[in-house]
Amino acid sequence: MSSNTDFEPKIIAFVCNWCTYAGADLTGTSRLKYATNVKIVRFPCTGRIDFLLLLKSFAQGADGIIVSGCHPNDCHYTSGNFHARRRWIAFRSILDLMGVDIRRIQYSWVSAAEGSKWADLVNHTVADIRSLGPYQEYQKIADYLEKGGYHGED
Amino acid sequence: MEKIRERAATLLAEGVVTLVLGYEEGTKRPRPLFCRNSESARKLIFDSRCIHNLAVYLTKKELVGKDRFAVIAPIATLRSIMQLYVENQLSEDKLLVLTVDPSGELRELVTFEDIAGYVEQFELKRGEREQEILSKIDEMSREERWKFWMEEMSHCFKCYACRSACPLCYCSKCVVEVNRPQWINPWPAPLANMEWHINRAMHMVGRCTACGACGDACPVGIPIDLITRKMMEDMAPEFGYIPGQPAKKGNALSTWKLDDREQFIR
Amino acid sequence: MSKIGVFICHCGENISATVDVERVAREVGGMEGVAHAIDYKYMCSDPGQTFIKEAVKKYNLDGVVVGACSPRMHEPTFRRACAEAGLNPYLCEMANLREHCSWVHEKSEETTEKAIDLVKMLVQKVKKNKPLDSIKVPVTKRALVIGGGIAGIQASLDIANTGHKVILVERDPSIGGHMSQLSETFPTLDCSQCILTPRMVEVAQHPNIKLYTYAELESLEGFIGNFTAKIRLKAKSVDYSTCTGCGACIQKCPVKKIPSEFNAGLGTRTAIYVPFPQAVPNKPVIDRVNCNYYKRGACKICEKTCQVGSIQWDREDEIVTEEVGAVVLATGFDVKGADFFPEYGYGKYKDVLTGLQFERMASASGPTFGEIRRPSDGVIPKKIVFIACAGSRDPAKGIPYCSKICCMYTAKHAMLYQHKVHDGESTVFYMDIRAGGKNYEEFVRRAIEEDTVNYVRGRVARVYEKDGKLIVKGVDTLLGGQQVEIEADMVVLATAGVANCGSEQLAQKLHVSYDPYHFFAEAHPKLKPVETNTAGIFLAGACQAPKDIPETVGMASGAAVKVAALFSNDELVREPLVAVVNRLAPPLYSTCVGCFMCETACPYNAIEHEDIRGRDGSLIKTIAKVNEGLCQGCGTCVAFCRSKSIDIQGYTHEQVYAEVMSLLND
Repeated sequence: MSSNTDFEPKIIAFVCNWCTYAGADLTGTSRLKYATNVKIVRFPCTGRIDFLLLLKSFAQGADGIIVSGCHPNDCHYTSGNFHARRRWIAFRSILDLMGVDIRRIQYSWVSAAEGSKWADLVNHTVADIRSLGPYQEYQKIADYLEKGGYHGED
Repeated sequence: MEKIRERAATLLAEGVVTLVLGYEEGTKRPRPLFCRNSESARKLIFDSRCIHNLAVYLTKKELVGKDRFAVIAPIATLRSIMQLYVENQLSEDKLLVLTVDPSGELRELVTFEDIAGYVEQFELKRGEREQEILSKIDEMSREERWKFWMEEMSHCFKCYACRSACPLCYCSKCVVEVNRPQWINPWPAPLANMEWHINRAMHMVGRCTACGACGDACPVGIPIDLITRKMMEDMAPEFGYIPGQPAKKGNALSTWKLDDREQFIR
Repeated sequence: MSKIGVFICHCGENISATVDVERVAREVGGMEGVAHAIDYKYMCSDPGQTFIKEAVKKYNLDGVVVGACSPRMHEPTFRRACAEAGLNPYLCEMANLREHCSWVHEKSEETTEKAIDLVKMLVQKVKKNKPLDSIKVPVTKRALVIGGGIAGIQASLDIANTGHKVILVERDPSIGGHMSQLSETFPTLDCSQCILTPRMVEVAQHPNIKLYTYAELESLEGFIGNFTAKIRLKAKSVDYSTCTGCGACIQKCPVKKIPSEFNAGLGTRTAIYVPFPQAVPNKPVIDRVNCNYYKRGACKICEKTCQVGSIQWDREDEIVTEEVGAVVLATGFDVKGADFFPEYGYGKYKDVLTGLQFERMASASGPTFGEIRRPSDGVIPKKIVFIACAGSRDPAKGIPYCSKICCMYTAKHAMLYQHKVHDGESTVFYMDIRAGGKNYEEFVRRAIEEDTVNYVRGRVARVYEKDGKLIVKGVDTLLGGQQVEIEADMVVLATAGVANCGSEQLAQKLHVSYDPYHFFAEAHPKLKPVETNTAGIFLAGACQAPKDIPETVGMASGAAVKVAALFSNDELVREPLVAVVNRLAPPLYSTCVGCFMCETACPYNAIEHEDIRGRDGSLIKTIAKVNEGLCQGCGTCVAFCRSKSIDIQGYTHEQVYAEVMSLLND
């Protein structure tokens, strides 16, 4: 299953408007190519990104998630990324305790000048998630009502 | 015990407080007692079996009202009171705290500074049960942890007893009741159960005092208190606080340090 | 049901070369709630915008999605077009089909499918968009400048010259600050007071400037455009309306041995005093701590001397309230003083001075009338040692930063000394010479080459007294760490510049942030050096970090322009992308429970407490409230709120949730 090369991972990216969104714009302006699997949702700041959105993404079928914002000290709002960083530290620890596969969430700082870093980040993340395979474990519990019970066959 | 009864009766008789929250003998274990007169204060008991966290009642406006009241608080309850105070949910002039120190002496704590000073002496340690389950979890692989919790969660039928028992779950509208959008489905289902418990742990970061009330309250015995407890133990060194010690203004997640860990960030 | 209009742009061929734009329009057009979907070569062109405007009217659209370039490029364009057609501009969203899709992918099925997903995502978002109105905040066109040094003086004059009223508050009895203490200024060696005092007089006489000396800020409430400042006017004990400033009282005052602050402790002053001869205002105050009458209840000699009866013994501190729209902080810096340098014997040896003391000594108006003389015996020193970086760049002393001005003023001091004592010998111990600035390096070279100042690269370990000489023990690192010992007559320490005392408390009063050294923090280290994180409060001069006079003046003028720009409109118009706390019908009033986690998280102090009261006035609960004037819309509070009681307009829970759900739906 995990070695399935036909598998096209679904990846959602939560990025801040000022650094990573602008950085991804620069990737475009520089005509650097990357995989089509990643789709961006724009936020004012990483501080705005709710952990529940990450959970809901897995439930909705995402195989991987990118969360990216301004480098430390570069936040347009001074400290939104610092708050976000703490939230991610806690969130990762809780997910790991519960057995959620935290390798599927890639956190990153991509500045408005790092167009090539964004392309690399996307391509690396797609490759990583491709090797991990679809996140069936999580999607199975999401599909519970349709497919009838978690205790069914794997 | 006699001293507590006497003191409670006096406080009520003299009108210093209008309500004393304490414990009385129950059928299997002690249960909460709300004394409004010195008569009922005679039923008060206090011993090591009195673990029900009475701090949960302190934010119930319909119960505590506008008057001053007293609460009989073992150490776990005191920790919850400290946290509630930090979160602007209690005011000093309405609350009087009675506790019994390890030497059996009755202590009356009036200000939050008093409580903080008292709480500081006590270290928060894992009990046998916590130690046993957590060390088992520590040895599991990620897949095993997922299986373990999925198995446990399959018993959860979303009675929300954990929420009701937790002194820090005082929101007037819980996130599961928020329906635009409906973040977490309120009914029992593997996904909704998982989301609820992860969410609960996230909401407790930097706040949980590991009183264990949620775990005690769970009618199907899911060790949910260990999720928040483990989280608390892991986050304490990360964010520079000591578990069980009085919290400072500003929550672990609403503050930050320049050198917070970020090795996981690419 | 929604009536959304979708407009897909070819961007010439920029998008259409890799994305099948017709298919995008077709597929999105089939979505529920989409009333109209077209593609066109250039949506941003005049005809393109006309398509949008006409469609808004024809189909009565309640939302618009433009699939084109980055919203960072053309969002304002399309929002304006919608507004012109009568649709609230915040009901228009853009899907980034160019930078995030066509330019980064090859032409393929997947690329078109991604484009469709991106547009669908924005359609789902826009369905949840709400019409928003710009926030308008009234502006009180009066500025408060705190600190009357050169920074405050310059900022006040610049603002006042734009025609706006300024209130200048100075803690000391006179304006002038540190610059008035300086002898001559680098790199031109012009006399500090000669260039400063005309400006001080200009401040005093300017019709738009109200000057409060011997006054301090008591409190500041409110927000940008609408601050209320309470200012404490400390009791001067002298009625300035009648005092003529003749100075007779000062002559007669029997308490004469008080160390003069202006002379950095080298001279003395009386209890009723004017800090220096050119002070503005040039009228005395009584120092109640040292005055015989206030100490012992008897004396009153000044009252007997005063011919106009200006002495007011019972005068009390007065609090005045001023409404202002902007604040400029110009509280300057201080220098490290006594007992901070035990290794250099400061405080023990009279002839070890700070740079500021040397400055007073070299000044023609100073305690020695410009002659360099040892404080201990009045002898002219023949050998003098200057120690740079006294405290600065020394993490062990808690001051890891460079105080910036010391290299230059030390070179100046050595130069002044050589000019005044022709047969004297001066040595400067330095770590590095930092002479970045116009004509600065040349100035230092002049000290070394023309005025033969001996520069030794190395640190001084110890200064001690022996037979009336100060033995300076150091190393010369350029000579391989060779020990150097100099028998000096005088030692001058270029002590570190530090935040002014009380700056931490002042920052807390104003709700501005400060760095670990208590200097006020700018909003952005590069692009917003004069703004603070609190809208409407600006910084000028050394209160932000040590800096020299030209930099300070430049920054003060910068702050003044920021204030003038703010005052150029009657109302401050802001994008309505701010946080809001929900309000509901009783008995809940709001789902906010008042834990105020958001308050600690907010970088802008925009969270206020709002008391909800019943009809009888009793407090029901206290909840959070967002000050729209302060909120910058980062949304950090939103992600904190456990009960989702706070939301941010433009990126609401419903909007982002709809986006995520749409994006992942097959």
